[in-house]
Amino acid sequence: MSDPKEVLVPVPDIGDFDAVPVIEILVGVGDRVRKEDLLVTLESDKTTMDIPSPAAGVVREIAVAVGDRVSQGSPLLHLMEEVDDDSKPSATPPTSPPSSETASPSPEGADDSPLETEPESLSASPDESMPMTSDPTTSAGGSESPALVEVFIPNIGEFSDVPVIDVLVRVGDEIAIEDPLITLESDKSAMDIPSTVAGTIAEIAVQSGDRVSEGALVATVESLAPSATPGGERAQAGAVDPSPAADSNASIDPKPPASSAPVSTPTLDDPRAPRGSPTASLAPEPERTHPLSHATPAMRRFARELGVDLLAVKGTGRKGRILREDINIFVKDALAKTSASSPPAVGLAPIPEVDFAKFGEIETRPLARIKRISGPHLHRSWVNVPHVTSHEEADITELEAFRQSIKTEAKAQGIRITLLAFITHAVARALKEYPNFNASLGPGGDTLVLKKYVHIGIAVDTPGGLMVPVLRDADRKGIYEIAKEMASLGERAREGALKPDEMRGGTFSISSLGGIGGTAFTPIINAPEAAILGLSRTRMRPIWDGEAFRPRLMLPLDLSWDHRIVDGAEAARFLAHLSASLNDVRRLLL
Amino acid sequence: MSASSIETQVLVLGAGPGGYTAAFRAADLGLRTVLVERYPTLGGVCLNVGCIPSKALLHTAEVIDGARELGERGVAFESMSIDRERLSKWKDKVVAGLTRGLSGLAKQRKVQVVHGNGRFVDPHRLVVESERGSVEIAFERAIIAAGSRPALLPGLPEDDPRVMDSTKALALDDIPSRLLVVGGGIIGLEMATVYAALGSWVSVVEWQDGLLPGTDRDLVKPLEDRLRKRLESIRLATKTTEVVAEKEGIRVAFQSSNEAAASGGGGADEALFDRVLVAIGRRPNGHLIGAQAAGVKVDERGFIPVDDGQRTNIPHIHAIGDIAGEPMLAHKATHEGKTAAEICAGHKVGMDARAIPSVAYTDPEVAWTGLGEGEAKAKGIEVEKAVFPWAASGRALGIGRKEGFTKLLFEPGGGRLLGAGIVGPHAGDLIAQATLAIEMGADAQDIALTIHPHPTLSETLNFAAEIAEGTITDLYLPRRT
Repeated sequence: MSDPKEVLVPVPDIGDFDAVPVIEILVGVGDRVRKEDLLVTLESDKTTMDIPSPAAGVVREIAVAVGDRVSQGSPLLHLMEEVDDDSKPSATPPTSPPSSETASPSPEGADDSPLETEPESLSASPDESMPMTSDPTTSAGGSESPALVEVFIPNIGEFSDVPVIDVLVRVGDEIAIEDPLITLESDKSAMDIPSTVAGTIAEIAVQSGDRVSEGALVATVESLAPSATPGGERAQAGAVDPSPAADSNASIDPKPPASSAPVSTPTLDDPRAPRGSPTASLAPEPERTHPLSHATPAMRRFARELGVDLLAVKGTGRKGRILREDINIFVKDALAKTSASSPPAVGLAPIPEVDFAKFGEIETRPLARIKRISGPHLHRSWVNVPHVTSHEEADITELEAFRQSIKTEAKAQGIRITLLAFITHAVARALKEYPNFNASLGPGGDTLVLKKYVHIGIAVDTPGGLMVPVLRDADRKGIYEIAKEMASLGERAREGALKPDEMRGGTFSISSLGGIGGTAFTPIINAPEAAILGLSRTRMRPIWDGEAFRPRLMLPLDLSWDHRIVDGAEAARFLAHLSASLNDVRRLLL
Repeated sequence: MSASSIETQVLVLGAGPGGYTAAFRAADLGLRTVLVERYPTLGGVCLNVGCIPSKALLHTAEVIDGARELGERGVAFESMSIDRERLSKWKDKVVAGLTRGLSGLAKQRKVQVVHGNGRFVDPHRLVVESERGSVEIAFERAIIAAGSRPALLPGLPEDDPRVMDSTKALALDDIPSRLLVVGGGIIGLEMATVYAALGSWVSVVEWQDGLLPGTDRDLVKPLEDRLRKRLESIRLATKTTEVVAEKEGIRVAFQSSNEAAASGGGGADEALFDRVLVAIGRRPNGHLIGAQAAGVKVDERGFIPVDDGQRTNIPHIHAIGDIAGEPMLAHKATHEGKTAAEICAGHKVGMDARAIPSVAYTDPEVAWTGLGEGEAKAKGIEVEKAVFPWAASGRALGIGRKEGFTKLLFEPGGGRLLGAGIVGPHAGDLIAQATLAIEMGADAQDIALTIHPHPTLSETLNFAAEIAEGTITDLYLPRRT
């Protein structure tokens, strides 16, 4: 027997992000989801992240709306979990707690207390409650009826009236969740609108050339997931008594209100009482599903004054109690964060608005979504971090010759061996040598956090904008491995298919404009990293070797570094070391 | 009839415990405050015709009963006589002292008190009518604290002094030889306790099938057992179908839906009483204050819905106390009054109490706070219950009251205290500690490790927590496996 248990799905660990907006809800009430199916999409600083389901089950209730801001632990939705376990009746059997027996075997008085409460438990055995739950899994045998589910255009940023450039499905097609239905043309790139349900396409509501906006109907899908039956609704409504017996003294009304009966009346077959009585697993308990914060009344008032959500505060007192200091620290942190992200962070007057139309024709377009997200982040880094950029050159004539020599061999293994792979490898090794470049300032700025791992972020130009996937443990990978992984990350970045995990945890970044041009530039550090390496275009240049000018292939290196963490001499040494290893690849063996 | 007008920052309608608290707090926060009260004295139901006089009489009842019980211990008082008039006057003096005190407190704070019936005429004006004329009060913010009134049983003989509500019963005009109390809730049982101690032969009739409906049954049992010994009868699951005033008394017809009684003789009977007290609950006064003129929403029953800042749907008008919802308790009203006043003064506060204690000042007292066991069951909240029987408390035995017990409900697995129920003498005082523990987020270990004075009844909370912890030594419990 499968035993449904309603679980609350909270926002999982999403890194350091806090109060991130929900930009899309990928499931609807009644949808059946599998473990790892995507539930909602959140927008963080740098990217969007999809939150997968921790379990299989049926969505009973969605606790968030598009636009809501959530943090780790915020409730997302209620899932009627499907567990196959017939050994246990229910997670919370509605029988009286076991301690009632151990607690009152006392000489006298004991005979009084438990007797009155015992019969209540009889009316609420888990078995009786089963018919009321309309458990979808039990109906899997035959009564499963397909439901028509409409798929709409989700939140697509600020775009509206976007043209449909391709319809990818036809009526009758079988589709899975996430299968693309149509392609829209946005600002710069095409975006596919995926299906939010699995099933068969019953109707397509758009055609190529149509212009659509968020909320427009895309298609109707005959879904296989059974929708919540009305019986289930009723069971829930009946099982929970919303109104407490308020005027319980009032005996005017000859007909007892149904609501006041069940609690104090231990009748076995009262027709008014919902059969099977409230089972613990079904009764929604809005109060208790969110654990109450552990804070005294005075601290709750203090938090309210400051507008602090105590559920977001970590208590450091005994047993996790939230102390005044915890609230203070929380507020200080929050202030530090907001002041860092608010545009005039250094108290400068904002750039005055200009009516450009006065000077000629203009066109206003929305900023691409990634730009809108990355903009404040870059600005924050630029304003908060004292940047210095050092320049150096590496003679990569030999390296390039070597790369060319192994290109075919690599290709045979399905690897496109790039210069960037070599540079990344060299950087990873240099970082082990110069750990300050692989460090971050600790909270408060008076400690240095040295990372024992080397995760290198590689800036990738994508149709939507700049993205920075992270190559993990670059110091422990060979050049082939690096090349292979970089290709995969880059490809998925361009497809917009990176997972949130693949874009965080970086310790150092590389931004390569070498394929495009430029002799030097000053990259912005991806704070809180300590530095970023910029690569400009490699050029064949005459280099004086003491006797003559020789044509050498020179790679310009631009290293921006955080002057709070390192200084000029260190940066020069780091660059010299890097340049030397690129000059002579044999050094990479050392 | 003269008409005058006043302008104020804060208007408080109703000078019960919630209203005067709100007014005094608002004034202390520097706001110009007007307090409107329809009765000549401040204090509302609680002070004048509720908590205070009833507790004065209940204490008297306790002493009388205590003296009677001393007989078992070989102490007998030759004769006891009750001078009803003197007792009533003493009680009135207690009340008068307090209400006079309140008037003084209002004066010291420069809270202007206007007597008369107040009705809103628009969202910023209220008119107070009295024999002396009408006063129009223009306000920036208002706090409605207009309370509740006793619910009436339809079909009662009108203007018969023998049919009383709680107010009239507290006036103590007579000690009837046979009294019927309609309603087995807190008020009904408290008055039954008083009149029984003063010598009346008291019957209680309750339409639901237990006394103190809504309260955990185990807590009510010791009270019911004791009441059954002292009262003429307790009829449960019984409706009062007819109340007829006759010359020699009030004839009341009952219809029982109790199966046993019904099978016995149809469940219908009748009896003659000297007086009848109707205590079947209270009705909020939401419909009596012209709320619609101010745009304030009032529900069908007369309650005014509010948010956690006690704001009504009209944000500058607050409602507190009985009129703002259950439970109708003075200590809830005062707390809400302070919250509303502070919000009027611009403070960012709100009602977020995790537990509101309730007390029936009966003998024994029944008190509970936070989550009840029945409520937990109904809501599907798992709890760990620990019950300490007072039969194992030296102090309880010393006062001859072993029927009580202290029940604590914890989050399972060593979690925090969620609720508590206590029955026994002074349960109302003891429940405060449990309420504090809930607010502070104390768990069983916290309470068990807090040293309680010995020998006191307060120890029973300590012991109950020790039961939950498994560290109790004042009882022997078989090992948990």
